[in-house]
Amino acid sequence: MTYSVLTLILLLQWANVPLPNIPRTSDGKPNLTAPVPKTTDGKPDLTGIWRNPDGGYLENIARGGVQVPFQPWAETLYKQRQETFSKDRPSGRCLPHGVPDAMLVPATPFKFIQTPIVTLILFENQGRYRQVFTDGRGFPNEMQPTWLGYSIGRWDGDTFVVETKGFNDQTWLDDGGHPHTDAYHAIERFHRRDFGHMDLEITIDDPKAYTRPWQVTIPFEFFPDMELMESVCENERDTPHMIGK
Amino acid sequence: MLYAAVAVILLAQWVNVSLPNTPRTPDGKPNLDAPAPRSSDGKPDLSGIWRVADGRYLQNIAVDLGEAPFQPWAAALFKERADALGKGRPSQHCIPHGIPDSMLVRNSPFKLVQTPAVVVVLYEEFNHYRQIFTDGRSFPAEMSSSWFGYSIGKWEGDVFVAETAGFNDKSWLDDPGRPHTDALRVTERFRRTNFGRMEMQITFDDPKAYTKPWSATIPFTLLPDTELIESICENERDHGHIVGK
Repeated sequence: MTYSVLTLILLLQWANVPLPNIPRTSDGKPNLTAPVPKTTDGKPDLTGIWRNPDGGYLENIARGGVQVPFQPWAETLYKQRQETFSKDRPSGRCLPHGVPDAMLVPATPFKFIQTPIVTLILFENQGRYRQVFTDGRGFPNEMQPTWLGYSIGRWDGDTFVVETKGFNDQTWLDDGGHPHTDAYHAIERFHRRDFGHMDLEITIDDPKAYTRPWQVTIPFEFFPDMELMESVCENERDTPHMIGK
Repeated sequence: MLYAAVAVILLAQWVNVSLPNTPRTPDGKPNLDAPAPRSSDGKPDLSGIWRVADGRYLQNIAVDLGEAPFQPWAAALFKERADALGKGRPSQHCIPHGIPDSMLVRNSPFKLVQTPAVVVVLYEEFNHYRQIFTDGRSFPAEMSSSWFGYSIGKWEGDVFVAETAGFNDKSWLDDPGRPHTDALRVTERFRRTNFGRMEMQITFDDPKAYTKPWSATIPFTLLPDTELIESICENERDHGHIVGK
């Protein structure tokens, strides 16, 4: 018996909200090449709505010729997921996208809210969030494995560096199916280049799945004068006839 | 054929995190009777992890009144749901509790993060969030209906007042199933009485479902020196045999 799932995500129109604190050109449009805003303590302020407009990274985080140093079993699993068109990916069952792929879904932007003690990442996708703690705490001695891990942030000059551990082994790094294990340790370096552009360099350190740490760099664009919409993922349990097995 | 769902929520132990900015008694314990903290603009700072102090409200949001002033059809629908012991409520399918009942689950605290531009509610339950905008915007001209609605906040003295509209008609006001329609408007008045206590007076104005606006006053207590844990709800689709019809 097949229990197929149709994941319904309603994609609606984003509301137009003229926001304060957005630099504008003389014709009133957001000036995306204006300088990076700063917080009162002089750090770059990453607050705002961002998205990766290029779906290629969601399909394959290693696009553009990045050599992925798979362990053999991880390569086998990746190939298997590719051959089955990623039909088992967690987000197909309304389970979370992980780190970094929750930020890579072009249809669903995300919002940074930076405060002195915590930076929130609110995902439009599935209406979920991450907290990056900057209040001086360390990692807990014992961490319950989670989908989005436990994140601690610090500033390295103008770059916000986020270390995350405590993952379960269930998320995929991308929709294509690059796997990770519970040994996954992510180091994300966020650098806002100007008002409208931010780069993320992520290091994937997971010795159980990869023979060495590896990096990719992903660009994001600011999404001005908008607000996140609610996007609740509903397992449509009663429509197995609508899709094949 | 029955497609019964078991919503599995892993309840783990909250971590112990000694948080800065926590007033303490001489023995180092959090002093929950200390005055309410203030933000830099002099407003009370509601930030912190809160937990409903009285579990009865999840079972009956109208407990203060005895019963809600139902319209006849709403009374009939409520009786039907209550007779079925709340079976079929949205949270059983991993879709959101609404407003206010996301805040009423004693096992799942929530965190308020107050910034000048927005107050964010992070729910432990299902890793969902809600934003209450304080940047001067007003309600969008057209609101797509949603589970958590669209919320605008303002201060009235020391009381934070959040107005919410734009709801769908799918969430329930409490677990037994007091209903609402898409005409619902909610006014929440949050007052932090001291470091460890907060009270919310909530008024429901939904002329399609109730003959007049009605209110509840709900107490919350601060959960000090801890952090939210991730709580992802998973529809356990293969456990149809565990629950009956």
